[in-house]
Amino acid sequence: MLEVNNVDVYHGDLQALWDVSLKVEEGELVSLIGANGAGKTTTVETISGLLTPASGTVIFNGVCLDKEPTHKVVALGVCLIPEEKGIFPGMSVLENLELGAFTPESRKARNETFESVYKLFPVLEERRKQVAGTLSGGEQQMLAIGRGLMAKPKLLMCDEPSLGLAPLIMKSIFEVIEQINKSGVSILLVEQNVRAALGLAKRAYIIENGHVARHGDTKSLLDDEKVRDAYLGTGSV
Amino acid sequence: MMFGLVAQTFVNGINIGALYGLIAVGLSLTFGVMKILNVAHGEFLMVGGYMAFWLFTLYDIDPLLGLPLIAIALFLLGAAFYKLLFSGLARFHEETKVKNTLLVAFGLFLIFPQVARWLWTADERAITPFYSGESFPILGVRCGYVPLAGLLVAVVVILGLHLLLTKTYFGKSVRATTENWKSAKLIGINVERTYLITFALGTALAGLAGVLVGMTQTVTPDMGMPWTITALIVLVLAGIGSVGGAFFAGIILGVVESVSAIFMGPYTVALGMVIFLLILMFRPQGLFGKA
Repeated sequence: MLEVNNVDVYHGDLQALWDVSLKVEEGELVSLIGANGAGKTTTVETISGLLTPASGTVIFNGVCLDKEPTHKVVALGVCLIPEEKGIFPGMSVLENLELGAFTPESRKARNETFESVYKLFPVLEERRKQVAGTLSGGEQQMLAIGRGLMAKPKLLMCDEPSLGLAPLIMKSIFEVIEQINKSGVSILLVEQNVRAALGLAKRAYIIENGHVARHGDTKSLLDDEKVRDAYLGTGSV
Repeated sequence: MMFGLVAQTFVNGINIGALYGLIAVGLSLTFGVMKILNVAHGEFLMVGGYMAFWLFTLYDIDPLLGLPLIAIALFLLGAAFYKLLFSGLARFHEETKVKNTLLVAFGLFLIFPQVARWLWTADERAITPFYSGESFPILGVRCGYVPLAGLLVAVVVILGLHLLLTKTYFGKSVRATTENWKSAKLIGINVERTYLITFALGTALAGLAGVLVGMTQTVTPDMGMPWTITALIVLVLAGIGSVGGAFFAGIILGVVESVSAIFMGPYTVALGMVIFLLILMFRPQGLFGKA
């Protein structure tokens, strides 16, 4: 479904990604983990067209994305929920969700999508008239995910959805992500919370200093001594 | 007697203030949405004034009836200028973008009056339909037809703009782009197009204001600059990001200037600057802006 092939990406003169390749198959939930500044956000921003790769290709369902502007990528069915949520704080919850269905195709299905989003997050329906900036952190993350779903994505990329959330809320957010995946949406989950990310996904990529350091089944990654050592802090002392 | 005078200046102040508001709203829109401080805003106003003058003298078209035509023309002109000069700068980092677009706009601000002098001479032109200078009494205050028409046009345009921004999908996408352009892109908004249309809307508003200014004062190549400055004062007074706020701030400035003219005479012009400085010192987010 999504294929990133040997991508090099620069921020100005600084190279951020070296030869990064990854794949997400239809219906899969794949995790992308790594330390702060390793290049996780750069990777998903490149896929969604906010950044243009210097070399390499990004292919989604046979369409080459790497020269397409972001709004076209969204229309093709790839939606990124950015780090720090990226909601529109001065607009109402309802307006935020409405805007989520901006692409012509998703706008046609707006009413049904509203229903399914409200079913997933009843609190958003209760708060629909509230200004989004006054929601709690967890509710804002729910709004961000809800807004993403309004676009009816085929592939949903979540950039650190657990950032700054209380453990209980974090857990419910991960449950929702799992639920969305079960409803047929492929998911690329970017996380620093390695244990949760590896628990959720069947496959994962570990990114270090702009390189894909390791990838494979989460099971084998969890068994790997070096991975446990570096990311789970359970290696031998 | 004194009451009559104050009431009269109050009405005059509201009339001129509505114009201030209309001009500031255009500037506020371009600055709020794309962080372009268009110091050439008044120059587009000047072009609008000249167009109204031509339509009136050459084709006998009433300036008020010519308003839609001029709005469309200035929309297209603004779109062309954005595409040609500003769109290339939009991809830069915010600070670089603010600086570079300011320089480009400043260049336009220097070039426009020069070109206008060259093409149309420095003569002062007046737009004088049959009702200009006429007025009617209401509650002991004289109300001119032209200023009243200006007030009505400004109110209708501002209301229309407000509805556009709050009720339509396009307007919501403009507000979304203002709040977070990256997120706007990520939900599928063509931000480049939003920028283009917003800039063009701003110049169209300047054009409309130019017609109204041209009907109450004269049309000259240098008429733009003082209006840009007034619009900046109103913008600072109102704060960024509120259409209604910019309009009310315009009315406030108009009334304050007009009433204070009774006491201060020619020094009123400085009053705007004093307000400008005071607001920047004590309430930099403006009267209606969010901190």
